[in-house]
Amino acid sequence: MADAVATAPAPATVPSVAGPHGGDTVIAARGLRKTYVLGGGVEVHALRGLDLDVRRGEYAAIMGPSGSGKSTLLQILGCLDLPTSGSYVLAGDEVATLDEDALSTIRNQRIGFVFQAYNLLGRATALDNVALPLLYRGLPLRERRARALEALERVGLGDRTHHRPNELSGGQKQRVAIARALATEPDILLADEPTGNLDSRTGDEILGLFDDLHQEGRTILMVTHESDVAEHCERIIRIRDGVVEASEAVAQRRRPGHAEPAPTGA
Amino acid sequence: MLLENLKTALEALFGNRLRSLLTLSGVVIGVFAVTTTISLGQIATAGITGELQAFGAQSLFVSRIFDDPTSEPFSDDDIDALSRLPIEILRQRSTNVWAVADEERVRLGLNGTTANAPQIDRTIDLDRGRFFDEGDAVRGAPVIVLSADAAEELYGGAATAVGRELVIETSGGNRSFYTVIGVKKRISGALGAFANDLSGDVPLESLYRDVPGLTRGRYDFMPITIALDRDASAIERQVRAILDRRRDPESYQIQSIEGALSLFNTITVILQALLGGIGGISLLVGGIGILNIMLVSVTERTREIGLRKALGAKPRTILQQFLIEAVVLTVIGGLAGVALSIASLWAVVAAVPFLDVFVLNPWVIALALGVSVATGVIFGVWPARRAAALSPIEALRYE
Repeated sequence: MADAVATAPAPATVPSVAGPHGGDTVIAARGLRKTYVLGGGVEVHALRGLDLDVRRGEYAAIMGPSGSGKSTLLQILGCLDLPTSGSYVLAGDEVATLDEDALSTIRNQRIGFVFQAYNLLGRATALDNVALPLLYRGLPLRERRARALEALERVGLGDRTHHRPNELSGGQKQRVAIARALATEPDILLADEPTGNLDSRTGDEILGLFDDLHQEGRTILMVTHESDVAEHCERIIRIRDGVVEASEAVAQRRRPGHAEPAPTGA
Repeated sequence: MLLENLKTALEALFGNRLRSLLTLSGVVIGVFAVTTTISLGQIATAGITGELQAFGAQSLFVSRIFDDPTSEPFSDDDIDALSRLPIEILRQRSTNVWAVADEERVRLGLNGTTANAPQIDRTIDLDRGRFFDEGDAVRGAPVIVLSADAAEELYGGAATAVGRELVIETSGGNRSFYTVIGVKKRISGALGAFANDLSGDVPLESLYRDVPGLTRGRYDFMPITIALDRDASAIERQVRAILDRRRDPESYQIQSIEGALSLFNTITVILQALLGGIGGISLLVGGIGILNIMLVSVTERTREIGLRKALGAKPRTILQQFLIEAVVLTVIGGLAGVALSIASLWAVVAAVPFLDVFVLNPWVIALALGVSVATGVIFGVWPARRAAALSPIEALRYE
């Protein structure tokens, strides 16, 4: 499992990657820059020419101090934001060339995004929350229901379908959010501090769920500032000052529910 | 998607019930004002049209100018001259007398007329008793047909008036004894609603005999009846032409029910325009309320919009969602306004005696609702566009 190839921070080269999951690249970012212009013309450079490759089936953590640009990176990878310059190829499509509607479609069909604050609709039931992206895909009601139910069952909430977010615990809310991200069968699951609002026990449950999803072959990219959390992944990508500082394979992956780090291997 | 957006809109509106209601009030008032004024005009017109049809004829009312001492009464020659027109003319002479019954002493307009008056003057409609006949007319019988108001004042009502004795006193002090043989109905509808008509009809012969100083063959009024299929205004012009050759054009006047009605209609139209204007302004204010509340709604739900966009909602989906919300708001307001309007119109029809037909055209409702929807679209489109144009991540970051 420790065979993930680190991308060099600079200069931008495209390392050929191969691994146990077939090795095709789902994310290829080259020279990503993101500059925010604040009031008074002050420029903040969140990303300064970042390169990153993620293979299909990979489970990687993005770490870095605050202000390092890790969240900005995840938002750009999730097509929630566009880079100021640089190239981002998601599953073969150059994102920079896409218009607003095409970006909506990408967000809807290729990306599952899990937020730290869950971001569920308070008025809607768990089932309706999970079905929302399927609605935007234009699926008929019956199919939306069926798929949403399936996703909720997948995260262990098959018995909470008609609860509203305020009737659910934090861990359950995050499971609903994960089910929502899963329901569309995306190419990649992006999670921004998914355990950040949860106690360590509940956080472990969520990480266990991510582990299971990874076992099923899903590609997961997670932003975190906790090493404990990051060590659940196969690879840790360290970001500092808007570039990838290091990309290292995790020698001893942590397994949820175990005090001792478990041996690696599927 | 449309249904889902409708559901979302209803949820959002019911989630903020009080705010939605307050926002609605402007639209409710606007639609209410517009619907009510248009319908009120139609109800009034229908009432008047119904009255005219019930009348069964068109009529003109030719009278001399009483305030002008040089304005002579009409003569039998005048009537002969007019008789070649396709009209029926009633001869009528009037004077004021005192009428005394039991303890009551009332100033009464005494009309001398002919026995065929009820056939020519369609406003004559007997409530009790009978009108005098040709025999009474020829003999100059001392019989009198009172107006409803006169019977009320003198005897306390039509039921107790018929068969009673009435003393007529002229200014010269002559006293004559008459018998009440009939009481007329109050003139129905818009024309008679506000008039207090204290009068009595007697045979012309009786009037000449009992009131000194009245010359035979001289008339103050000539009520004229025109068949329904004739052009009343053309006949009015002909009557005027004939009389103008025979006397000073300023010495008489012609009134027509149609003329009175057209005045009434003019007033109605002015009222409609005024109230309609108020309705329009209310709708504008209501629309600005919608605009305001939609902007608040967009701002409040910025994170929700961001989330929806993050999950793949296209800009036009968001646009549709907020537009539907605005339109649902205004349609509810429009329906409430129409309902309020129907209730008020019922109340008005029930309360005002001469409005007896309830009219509410479907197109008035359609217009009112159409205007509400247009208000929703016009004032909802800008906030909705703002919502649709939000960048997903900036919307999600919004606190």
